[in-house]
Amino acid sequence: MTTPLLEIKNLHARVADKEIIKDLNLTINSGEVHAIMGPNGAGKSSLSYVLSGKEGYTVTSGSITFKGQDLLSMSTEERARNGLFLSMQYPIEIPGVMVSSFLKQSLNSILKHRGEKELDTITFMKRLKQEAAQLNISPEMLKRFVNVGFSGGEKKRFETLQMALLKPDFCILDEIDSGLDIDALKTVSDGVNSLRSKENAFLVITHYQRLLDHIEPDIVHIFADGHIIKSGNKSLATELEQSGYTDFLKEE
Amino acid sequence: MTQIPLLNNIKLYLDDKPSVYGLRQKAKQALKKTNYPTTKTEAWKYTNIKPILSSNLLVNTEEHKCSCNCCYHNKDSSKVEITFCNGKLHIEEYNLPKGLNIIPLPEVLHEGEYKQYLLNSFNLEEHPFAALNGVYLEQGICIYAEKATKISQPIYIKYKQSDCSENQINIHNLIILEKEAQLEIIELFNSENENKYLTNIVNEIYLKPDSQLHHYKKQTESKNSYHIALNSVKIQKKASYKQYYLANGAKICRQETNIQLEQTRAQAEIYSAYTAKKGCLNDITSNINHLQPETHSNQYAKAVLESDSAAVFQGKIHIAPSAVKTEGHQLHKALYLNDNAELNCKPELEIFADDVKCSHGASCGEIDKEQLFYLTSRGISKTDAIKMLTQAHLNEIIALIPNKEIQEEFSL
Repeated sequence: MTTPLLEIKNLHARVADKEIIKDLNLTINSGEVHAIMGPNGAGKSSLSYVLSGKEGYTVTSGSITFKGQDLLSMSTEERARNGLFLSMQYPIEIPGVMVSSFLKQSLNSILKHRGEKELDTITFMKRLKQEAAQLNISPEMLKRFVNVGFSGGEKKRFETLQMALLKPDFCILDEIDSGLDIDALKTVSDGVNSLRSKENAFLVITHYQRLLDHIEPDIVHIFADGHIIKSGNKSLATELEQSGYTDFLKEE
Repeated sequence: MTQIPLLNNIKLYLDDKPSVYGLRQKAKQALKKTNYPTTKTEAWKYTNIKPILSSNLLVNTEEHKCSCNCCYHNKDSSKVEITFCNGKLHIEEYNLPKGLNIIPLPEVLHEGEYKQYLLNSFNLEEHPFAALNGVYLEQGICIYAEKATKISQPIYIKYKQSDCSENQINIHNLIILEKEAQLEIIELFNSENENKYLTNIVNEIYLKPDSQLHHYKKQTESKNSYHIALNSVKIQKKASYKQYYLANGAKICRQETNIQLEQTRAQAEIYSAYTAKKGCLNDITSNINHLQPETHSNQYAKAVLESDSAAVFQGKIHIAPSAVKTEGHQLHKALYLNDNAELNCKPELEIFADDVKCSHGASCGEIDKEQLFYLTSRGISKTDAIKMLTQAHLNEIIALIPNKEIQEEFSL
């Protein structure tokens, strides 16, 4: 049997004094797409921050193994360099930092870690423009400051562009559908789908089944009160959409 | 009688000319009368200059001009480049556009056409370091733009400090723009090593009606050096002065800008981006005098404070009783990278006229944790991410530079 890409065992985590992840177990293999659905405040976004090592999110017990390595002993940047990517629900604006110089620094940090040759500005810009065109991102947007003045759709397309460029092995999509109209949702989903391969995996966090019509998951997990209460195939999402979270959770 | 620090008993070029000697003596009398400021002097409350005064820094009198080969540059280029090598003017023929005159200071002192402008734009007794500079009046350049001369290429003044350990370097420049003249001047201060020395520079700037000066300055001197500078600017009717300043060098750096908006509709803008490096002090002080109606001033400064550093921002706006319908604005934003840093920010508004618009503001904060997380979550190291965010803080000022070539020079 091959090693799973990501293995979470008996995980407990807290923010300040509040326990937010309570005995979570989850195994994700390469080539799989998992969806996590759950009500507001269930701890879904917290899980994405715990996975990416955000300051203030403390693991109290349990383990996370990523590509056979102890993820919890790595810093945020080491996790990213090893192939973990978090597409954020609310990408932050960074005035004064240009999109292109940010992406170049990011890509070269990752290439360097992989032992690959770093890209010079000309090669990098050529590649960036190609990838951007695929996602309907205008060259003007690349000259702007990171996320500054971007519309909701532009922010999510920019997150998708980063995935296309950095080619991570494992992507967490934290409510990538929030703030998107139907057309933008399709562009972003098409972008994500084109990145799917046997070598990588996705964890899709969402409130709505609608997204899962565009990005089809292999496994759906229902997340409540800091852990997974039920897992199943895609039909679980449909079932949930019909009953609503309150009734669904009551029945369980 | 007590010994005045930094005064060396030396003989300068042209000391035998009574009129030149007289000018130097006038400065010496002023310095002897007031002596140097202490931290009890209001204008120097936050900048302790004891380390400068206790260093025995000597004036180098070996040569009154530089004739080295290292300063050579491409004569064919359309750039006008003036070089001071260890404080000595590198003498060369300039390929000058029509209407622009560049005259070494000794010629000004000797022949006298622009001599009346020297030590005339400020009160020597209020500026002890400028008085010290006056005692050694010898090195410097006069840039004179004739009426309606418009030059789009910036004039470079390069100050290269390589072999000046334990020296004091006094340079005095005169910049005169006649009516409707337009000029860009960029000053670059740079050291090739970590020597200890003092750069003491005075620029006296006279802007005649409807003239425009863009004045850029980048100071990246040795971390063991001292840098004291005064820009004294007199602005006449509808003339405009814009200063863009970037500084991250020197152990103690003080940039003082004194502006006299002496006729109606004169304008001044000062944009500063400065970093107080570990163990260093960086001071920006300005005095803006609105003397006539409808004058306008704007200052925007951004500071970065590293650990164990200090930054000082003192901005005084004075509005005379006659200066109605004037505007004076001032804003300072600081970013500190560590709790162990000291920021002294002192705005002063003295308003003696009615019907004026004035504002001042100051803020300070740390690196934004969410921004830091975003960058590191993309594989960028924490150190590099902090560098990017620090640069981003200063970029807001650099982005205001209208000349793209200089904007690039300032981004390095």
